[in-house]
Amino acid sequence: MRIKDLGTRPAPATIREKFSRMLRGHGPAIPVQRRQIPYWQERGWTRQGRMYRGTYQTPYAAFTGQIEEHLGGHIDFWLYMPSNEIRNSSHWACFQHRGNDWYLVHMSKLPRDTGSGILTIERLITEAYEQ
Amino acid sequence: MKKLSVVVAGTGQIRDVEIQAGTTAGDILHQLNLTDYLLSKGPNDPFFAAAESIYDKVNDGEKIFASTKAEVGVLEQCA
Repeated sequence: MRIKDLGTRPAPATIREKFSRMLRGHGPAIPVQRRQIPYWQERGWTRQGRMYRGTYQTPYAAFTGQIEEHLGGHIDFWLYMPSNEIRNSSHWACFQHRGNDWYLVHMSKLPRDTGSGILTIERLITEAYEQ
Repeated sequence: MKKLSVVVAGTGQIRDVEIQAGTTAGDILHQLNLTDYLLSKGPNDPFFAAAESIYDKVNDGEKIFASTKAEVGVLEQCA
């Protein structure tokens, strides 16, 4: 059987790296610290005093929001310009218009922290789009 | 056995747990002393019921959330 020599070429980088690693062995594992931050911060909200600003994020849409923490623990959740999907959802009656397209989201059971409230509203928005 | 990282929404604190088949959401919350909390995989997934076995619904090493109970609603209109 005749063999035609086509010349040589460098091995792909992935194979070179594999052989190189076999020769030098694995380096020590570097522990990566986990970020332990509140949910509102993880979702990119910012805080100024008792006021939080950010977006309620879902796979379907994101909405500008504001959250105001009052003395005594009461928390107000605001949502700007709700979409038709939210307006047509079963929870629309819970959105109270307060002017300039800002809506106060009424909670019959208040969350104990802002992160839990954001989760709740994001879930509500998702449900509105999946109805 | 599966390992889970439970993120407490309010503080961001991460609690690592190891669960066996049949472990319920309530078992985890009780173990972590998170009464009045609910577990979910995130904002796009429903809450696990307290009596619901979650072993088959989570992946090993997955991060899940514990958040306090909240309901959007006005009177009976949308509770």
